[in-house]
Amino acid sequence: MATRSSKAMTVARPILIGAGVLGLVLGAVVMVSKQSPVQIVGVGLWMLGAIILHDAVLSPLVLVASVLVRRASRRPASASVSSSAQSHSAQSRRVWRGVLLIVQGAVIVGAILTLVVVPEIYAKTLGTANPTILPSDYGLRLGLMWIVIAAVTAITSVVYARRSANNPADDPADDSANNPADNTAKNSPRDTP
Amino acid sequence: MQRAVAAPTRNPRLAVVIGRLLASAFLICFATGLYSHFLQEPLPWMHFATSPAQLYQFSQGLHITAGIACFPLILAKLYTVFPKLFETPAITGLGSVLERASIALFVGASLVEITIGLLNTYQFYPWPFGFREVHFALSFVIIGSLAIHIGVKLPIIAQYWRKRDGYAPELAFTEDERDTMDAPLIDALPSRLAAVPGARAVSGVTGRIFAWIDGPAPEPALPADQTRPAPEHGGSGEDPDLAFSSDAPPSHQPHPVGRRAFLATIGTGVAAVVVLTAGQSFAWLSPLNAFAPRVKGIGPQAVPVNRTAAAAQVTSTAMNQDWALTISNASQSLRFTRAELLALPQTTVDLPISCVEGWSQMATWRGVRLSELVAKVVGNDAAAGSQALRITSLEKEGGYRVTQMGSEYVGDPSTLVALELNGETLDIDHGFPARMIAPGRPGVLQTKWLSTLEVL
Repeated sequence: MATRSSKAMTVARPILIGAGVLGLVLGAVVMVSKQSPVQIVGVGLWMLGAIILHDAVLSPLVLVASVLVRRASRRPASASVSSSAQSHSAQSRRVWRGVLLIVQGAVIVGAILTLVVVPEIYAKTLGTANPTILPSDYGLRLGLMWIVIAAVTAITSVVYARRSANNPADDPADDSANNPADNTAKNSPRDTP
Repeated sequence: MQRAVAAPTRNPRLAVVIGRLLASAFLICFATGLYSHFLQEPLPWMHFATSPAQLYQFSQGLHITAGIACFPLILAKLYTVFPKLFETPAITGLGSVLERASIALFVGASLVEITIGLLNTYQFYPWPFGFREVHFALSFVIIGSLAIHIGVKLPIIAQYWRKRDGYAPELAFTEDERDTMDAPLIDALPSRLAAVPGARAVSGVTGRIFAWIDGPAPEPALPADQTRPAPEHGGSGEDPDLAFSSDAPPSHQPHPVGRRAFLATIGTGVAAVVVLTAGQSFAWLSPLNAFAPRVKGIGPQAVPVNRTAAAAQVTSTAMNQDWALTISNASQSLRFTRAELLALPQTTVDLPISCVEGWSQMATWRGVRLSELVAKVVGNDAAAGSQALRITSLEKEGGYRVTQMGSEYVGDPSTLVALELNGETLDIDHGFPARMIAPGRPGVLQTKWLSTLEVL
């Protein structure tokens, strides 16, 4: 089994990499045949810009945010002695962490939507070729979207906290006996305004 | 110290799970994009399906929707592997230089491709190059670098393809596999995995930062002979969680909440961008269309417009009393005024206008069946369906002023020279006095303001 799979591996990897190189060559040929050198430099600059934006702007920001969330997730700290109090504080810590994750998820979803919609808002300010292009008030809708996300997040967090308080055994953070029902709160769809 | 809660998400198993989804979206975009490309620029031998009539509406709607779904997916994928970015040492030799270069090309091309695609649907072009040509060329660069990436990472992909393989009790890697098993884990390794020789915790800056936050790594506390719990719980691509041994404090274990929250976040993000935009392409989602650049039913005669008569500079020529449609072949040429066209037998069809930008609109068209018109020039009905046409518009200029139509469309009974739209005389922005409407073709080829039809 292991030999067979490693044999398949030694066959598959060169094929994949070879096919990939062919794809790159084809892409380069299409690019050179259809665009002027100045335009190709433009494509290169855009790609470089995308990489810089990701590596030097977005990634450090996400890293800082991760650190902050990570540190925040350690509160509320417990310094209790009695075992019952300790389990209680462990419980509240779990709830706190869960709520933090729900809020974090909501912010990420909102940020992705914002990322997609902001250029649309800007494009509309430049004017459109006819009224059927970008017909809506996207800024207003984005604002409403954030309000909806905030409301859904608040409700989800409260529901999650209550359920965790009521069934500590069912808390997914508790152990590996995870209960699919626990996912429902966090998977609640955020719908349209 | 609380351990590894915020993000037990950056691990090779998750990178494989997200990677599969992203690769699927890329391949869908690639296939539908090629289809759209060849519909517009067919090779001489190519013939296309004219039914189902909504094939292009579906394929291009899928192209744009899958492209939008790539935004959350690509960000998620980059997030799962982003400790690699800060890995030290960054360069360990020629192999790592090549690998980093191919990844940079892959990431850069992918980000540019989906960004220009999205902005193009907004008809916003802030770049110094041709959209269609570059979007087409980059698709090959992306699929090529995707194949290279899969080839390079194949051992890891194979290892973590199935969740039960992800953290099997004994992970046995060959020497070669271990050399390529370089995907770092940012959190404390699950005990079983930590016991495997060659499994590495994350290196580099991020690893140090999180190690500093989380304190020292726990000792692996599981006896080697402990049996793994049966993965009885399903779930969306989750790995089975490790059973905590009774003597290991749970606070020292990375637990599944963070990973589950991550997957829920990505799932919600994909659902949100898809559900709130796909209504421009798919009618059943149009009530939820909050953010798409087009809205079904908005426009003259409830159909959106891409190019107006004013933009095409046809406002005077299209309204000219002397307008007539010329149909010719090598031997003869016929002219039909709009009144003469209306006097011919009329056919009504329901066909969508499906734009390359992803939006589409179903509509009811009424006019003269194209094959019947062509038959009048060719002189016999049977031959009319095997002719290709060159179609010329009244437009002053533009890439689609002159187009060709393959015989499969000419012969299709639902292809019309349309004179009416949704029960009214064709609006000038929809191509008055006459336009072409055929099943399964991109909107740019549904020529408006018809001038001449030449049988080839």
